[in-house]
Amino acid sequence: MATNNERIPMVDVGTAVIPRERKDQIYEFLSRRRIMIGVTVLPVFLLFVLILAFPILWAVAASFHEIHAFAPDWNWVGLENYTHYLFGDALFRETLLLSVTFAAVSVAVHVIVGTAVALLLNHHFPFKKFVSAVLFLPFLIPTAILAFGVGYMMNSTFGVFNWTLVNLGILESTRGWFGNPDTALYVVAMVNSWKFYALVSIMVYARLQSIPSEHYETAKIMGASAWERFRDVTLPNLKGVLFLVILLDSVWMFFKFDIIWILTQEGPGGSTRISVVYAYEIAFQQTSLGEAAAISVILFTLVAFAAVLYFYVLEPESEVRAE
Amino acid sequence: MSTESDDVESTIMDYRGSIPLWRQVSYPRRRLIRRSLLYVGISIITLVILLPVLWIIMSAFRPVGDVITRNPSLIPTSITVDNFVALFTGSRFPIYLRNTVIVTMGVVVLVTTFATLGGYGLTRIDIPFKRVFARGVLFTYMFPPVLLAIPMYILWSEIGMINTHVGLILAISARVLPFALWLMWKFFLNVPYSLEESAQVAGATRFQAFKDVALPIAKPGIISVAILSFAFAWGDYTMALILMTDLDMFVITTGIEASFYSGGQIRWGMVLSGSAVALVPPLLFVYFLQKYYIHGMSAGGAP
Repeated sequence: MATNNERIPMVDVGTAVIPRERKDQIYEFLSRRRIMIGVTVLPVFLLFVLILAFPILWAVAASFHEIHAFAPDWNWVGLENYTHYLFGDALFRETLLLSVTFAAVSVAVHVIVGTAVALLLNHHFPFKKFVSAVLFLPFLIPTAILAFGVGYMMNSTFGVFNWTLVNLGILESTRGWFGNPDTALYVVAMVNSWKFYALVSIMVYARLQSIPSEHYETAKIMGASAWERFRDVTLPNLKGVLFLVILLDSVWMFFKFDIIWILTQEGPGGSTRISVVYAYEIAFQQTSLGEAAAISVILFTLVAFAAVLYFYVLEPESEVRAE
Repeated sequence: MSTESDDVESTIMDYRGSIPLWRQVSYPRRRLIRRSLLYVGISIITLVILLPVLWIIMSAFRPVGDVITRNPSLIPTSITVDNFVALFTGSRFPIYLRNTVIVTMGVVVLVTTFATLGGYGLTRIDIPFKRVFARGVLFTYMFPPVLLAIPMYILWSEIGMINTHVGLILAISARVLPFALWLMWKFFLNVPYSLEESAQVAGATRFQAFKDVALPIAKPGIISVAILSFAFAWGDYTMALILMTDLDMFVITTGIEASFYSGGQIRWGMVLSGSAVALVPPLLFVYFLQKYYIHGMSAGGAP
């Protein structure tokens, strides 16, 4: 009996015709281990080398040289670029502080607003599909278009934002929101948050959707209040995704360039000259590519160090690790 | 009698005092308060997001005089498509749009294909130095994108790729690829390998198992990586600013700035109508592909 069962054919080979066999041969060939690696991992590896590893190593090499944008010569200067920006240039340290401020304010706003929106969306209410489409939209809107639109709406002469506040009696007169050195950086951070809170919302919302409703029901039967259910069921489930999104968002915001460059450039009195803006000015206005490369390497080292520290101190569950 | 009822009354008062204020409210009323708070919160945030988008689109349809008027009226007095006609017939915008479409399609195809194949290979095939590669991928993410464009600018100019679509496609891919590859990797980890194994037991080759079993299951992930790369490519400003120096090779974002902000006076009618055109694909995507968009972005955080 047992042998009989084993002999039942599992694939119908009778229908095989000649072109089919050739196709099979191709499939067989593609299935070999070396070919499989060559088709799947090798292309992405080569692309990485071409567009990431090579330019980054190039930048590291360039950071030890004096290079001018329109002259092909590289003059070896050793560590001079590094010592200048690490110890000699007070302006660079100021820009670093502005970068950290911008990133910290942005990430805090994104996480708080983004999580709150995700929690609201996790309820049932009418027009939910439309509302969630609207709330997740900003992340897809080009940052430059946001900057153009905001530049229009917050214009000091005819901006609708100003005039609405004036007509409501909140403001005495219209104001130039990006012209005040004390607040320009924060205004830009808020405008930018209009877009990037949605990243946090999307990730948190999707995680909320995957929490089994039984967990809440059990907690309810055990007598947990709404707050206790949030603290003991929702929050622990969000830990992993929040860990990840904070890391990703911090790196993005620390290197944010486009919206700042379009809205304020270096800002009144250099108040929005964060490190990447400073490096861009050095590279393309002072045309000192070697010095800009040194700044990139310094920023890269700082962020990589901070990221490793973040991983090491907080020790996330394996689900957010890359292995 | 009266003392007894006083006792009862005071007991009730004592008891009530120990209940939080919120619990003293009757259940239906509590529900009503909670619901209204929810609706108010949802309405406020929806308006904050929706109104600016609507205002940009609406203003694009106003005559230029209305666009830059002091104290603008909220309801348009007259509607016109003059701005769009001028945009498409009297400016370089069609060229910018063409460049953006070419570059975006290139990035989406390149990144989606490479990330899907790579993600599959990294989860299914035992390759030496896999972890080193994974960590390396993550670390490239910590290099500032603006500053990545500088060495690219030098390299691309030496091999003649400045001001080419291919050059910009590769540069934008450098920004999306780490995240895309990582998403696809996490995605294939969630596709059980046992399904492919049973297909192989049933006579399928390894390649067929990939093509007919793993790929269809991973389709949502693939679509969301495509949406992500679309979003990066369509909205790119930084890479195009540095790598495209010829005005005929600008994309919509850098093009709007170059053409309509120059010469001391900003041509707001053109800026707004150009922005409105750039807003169309995101609006379509978020409405029709919402499921994949949310699903994909979260693949990393899901168990």
